[in-house]
Amino acid sequence: MPRVTIDPITRIEGHLRIDAVVDGGQVQKAWASCSMWRGIETILLGRDPREAWLFTQRFCGVCTTVHAIASVRAVEDALAMEIPLNAQYIRNLILIAHGLHDHIVHFYHLSALDWVDVTTIPKADPVKTAAVGESLSEWPGNSDKEMRAVQGKVVGLVESGQLGIFANGYWGHPAMKLSPEVNLLALAHYLQALEFQRKANQIVGILGGKTPHIQNVAVGGVMNAINLNSLATLNMDRIYMMKDLFDQVIPFVQQVYFPDACAIAGFYPEWFDIGAGVQNYLAVPDLPTDPGSATFDLPGGTIFAGNLATVRAIGGSRDDYFRKGVVEDVTHAWYKGRGGQHPWKGVTDPDYTDFQDDGKYSWVKAPRFEGKPMQVGPLSNILVGYALEHELTKKWTDLALARVSAIAQRPITIDKMQSTMGRYLARAIRCAVLSELAVRQWQLLVNNVGKGDTSTFRAPNFSKEVEGVGLHEAPRGTLSHWIVVKDGKIANYQAVVPTTWNASPRDEQETPGPYEAALLKNPVADPEKPLELLRTVHSFDPCMACACHTLDVEGRAIATVKVL
Amino acid sequence: MTTPTTVAVLGLGNVLLGDDGVGPFVIEMLRAGYALPDSVSVTDVGTPGLGLPAYLSESDAVILVDAVCASGEPGELRLYRRQEIDDVPLKPRVSPHDPAVQEALFLVDLAGCGPGELLLVGIIPEQTAVGAGLSKPVRRACQPAIDAVLRELVRLGVPAVPRRAMDAPHIWWASA
Repeated sequence: MPRVTIDPITRIEGHLRIDAVVDGGQVQKAWASCSMWRGIETILLGRDPREAWLFTQRFCGVCTTVHAIASVRAVEDALAMEIPLNAQYIRNLILIAHGLHDHIVHFYHLSALDWVDVTTIPKADPVKTAAVGESLSEWPGNSDKEMRAVQGKVVGLVESGQLGIFANGYWGHPAMKLSPEVNLLALAHYLQALEFQRKANQIVGILGGKTPHIQNVAVGGVMNAINLNSLATLNMDRIYMMKDLFDQVIPFVQQVYFPDACAIAGFYPEWFDIGAGVQNYLAVPDLPTDPGSATFDLPGGTIFAGNLATVRAIGGSRDDYFRKGVVEDVTHAWYKGRGGQHPWKGVTDPDYTDFQDDGKYSWVKAPRFEGKPMQVGPLSNILVGYALEHELTKKWTDLALARVSAIAQRPITIDKMQSTMGRYLARAIRCAVLSELAVRQWQLLVNNVGKGDTSTFRAPNFSKEVEGVGLHEAPRGTLSHWIVVKDGKIANYQAVVPTTWNASPRDEQETPGPYEAALLKNPVADPEKPLELLRTVHSFDPCMACACHTLDVEGRAIATVKVL
Repeated sequence: MTTPTTVAVLGLGNVLLGDDGVGPFVIEMLRAGYALPDSVSVTDVGTPGLGLPAYLSESDAVILVDAVCASGEPGELRLYRRQEIDDVPLKPRVSPHDPAVQEALFLVDLAGCGPGELLLVGIIPEQTAVGAGLSKPVRRACQPAIDAVLRELVRLGVPAVPRRAMDAPHIWWASA
C-alpha cells in the first residue's frame, strides 16, 4: 500500500511529520510525529519563578503573550493569590486581541489556499464577485473596483511568472471546487486581512508596552500604571485608542471572516463528514472576571464520545477535576520509560530511537485526561460552550449553522461540527464570540477604573514548597503551565501546549492521538498531491512550539564578511 | 526639507536556542550603544511567523538581522538584498513557524505596503540547541553585524550616533 510522508524538515528546523498509509483512495493508518527535540522547559530550572514568564514567552514566537500569561497564572495559582481586577481585565484584553489576530492569520494566511485556487482568478468576473460579496455581508471592501484591482495584481503575477508564495499550491486539484469569483473574493479578503492583523497587534502593543514580546505582566498582576491624566501611563487616550482599534477589527471579524468561513464551509459541505477523529473534547474556562479567578466569561469543560450530554464543567485551575486529571504518556515518545506521569512529576529524559512505526516515533509526549486522548481547540471550546448553554457561543453557532445550511442547501447541524470543516467553522465562531467579549471586557475595565480603582499589582509572597497550574484557553486550545517551586526557585516546569494534545502520538493503550485519528478514512485522490491530508491537519492549526527558524539562503549572499 | 526615510531594524530569532538568538542580541546592543533618529525603529521580533508582515509594512526600508543557514564558518556574515531572498525556492507551509520572511515580504508587496528597500544581515550560527547565550564566534560577529546595520543607515540618510557612555545592553536571557 502506498505510504505518504509529509515531512517539511529543513536543515535544523524540526516540525510536524505526517505518515499515512493510503489504500483505495483513503488513509488506513496514520502517524503524527514532531521531529524536533523540545526540552525548552529545562532552561527554567533553578530560576526565580517571578521571571519564568520572560522565558516562556519565547517558547513560541507566534503565541508569545499566551505563554507569558499562562506562566504568571501558574505561579499565582501555586501561591493561591488573588490579583487586582484591573489586572484581570488588562490581561483578558491582551488575550482577546491576540486571539483575534491569530484566528484571522490562520484562516486567511495559513489555510485559505488549501481551499482557494488562486490560478482561476484571472477568469473571474469582478462585477459578479462584488455581487457575491454583497450577498454575504455589508462589508464596504467588496466593491467591483476593489475586486478588479486585486484581480489585476494576480494577473500581473501570472504574466510575470513570479507566483511567489502562490507557486507551490495544489492548483487545479480535483478537490478544489470554488468558482473563480469566490476565489477572487477570498483573495481580496486575504490581502485586506493583513491590515486587521496589524491593528489587532497594535492593541497588544498599547497594553503590553511592546509587541511581539509584551513587557507588562508580573506575578501578582500587571505593571501598567493607571492614571487617567498622566501621559506615561494607561490613560484615557490610550484606553480610547484601544477601543478605536477594536472598533475597526471587530467589523472585519463579523462582516468578513465569519461570513467567509460560513461560505467556504457551505461550498464544501462534504468536509463535514470527514475527519472527526478523537471525539473527546477539552476546554478550560478563561477571561476571569474576579480577583480569585473563580468566575469566567468563557466556560470550560469536557465532553466524551462525541455526546454533548456528557458535558462536565471545569471550574478553573483550583478544580481537582482538571488539576488531577492530566498525565503525559511517553510510551511512543522519544523519552525514557513507558506510561504516564502527572506534569508536576514529569521528567524530560530523551531516548531517541529513530522513527519506529510500532515503537517510539515522536518528540511530542501524549497528554491524556482521565486516561483518554482529548481534542482541544476552538471546536472543543464551541461544543463545550454550546452544551453548557453559553449565550454568545449559542448565538454565533446557530447563526453559522443557519448560514452554512442555506449555502449548502442541506441541513448542517451541531453534530456535523465534529469534523474537519467543523474545526474551521468553530474557529470563526470563537473569533466572533471573542470580538463581542472584547467590547465587554473593555467596558468592565473602564467601569472599574471609573470607580476609582487604579490598582494593578499585588506583591507575591513565597512559601517553602508549592505547586501550581496556570490555565489559558489559547487560540489553538487548552494550554497549561505546571510549576513546582522550592525555596523560591523553580524545581520543575512543564508546559502542556494545545498542539501536544492534538498532535500526540499513541499511548500505552495504543490509542492514537487526535491528528492520527482524524486522518483515518480521509480521502486522498492523488498520493502525489495529498491536499486532502493538509486540509485535515491544518484544521487543527498546528503550532509545534519549537520556534527555531534559521533562514535557508544557501549560496545566495551578495557579500560575505569573514570575522577573524 | 524632505521627510526622513523610515527604517525598521528587526532582530529575528529565538533567544532560548543559542546562536539563533543573535538577531535579538544585536538589537539590544544597538539600542544600548547608539542614539537613533526618530524615523528609525529597532525591534526584537523573535520568531513571529506570519505575524511578521505587521512589522514590514510601515517603513520605507527594512533591515533584518538573523542567523542564516549558509555554508561557511560560524560567525561569518552574509549580506543579502531582496533579489537573493526571493530566489530561494519556497517549501510547503505546515506550521506557522515555518520561515516566513519570503512569504511576509511577498504578502506586503502584494498588498501594496511593502518596504522599498531591504537588507538582510545574516550571521552563520555555530549551535542552535536549547540554551540561552551565544557561542564565541557568533558573539564576536555581533559588532561587525552592527557595523553593517550602521553602514546601511548611513546609506539611507539616517545615520545613528554612538552614545558617549554606552548603556549596558539588556541581555536578560543570558544571565544566570
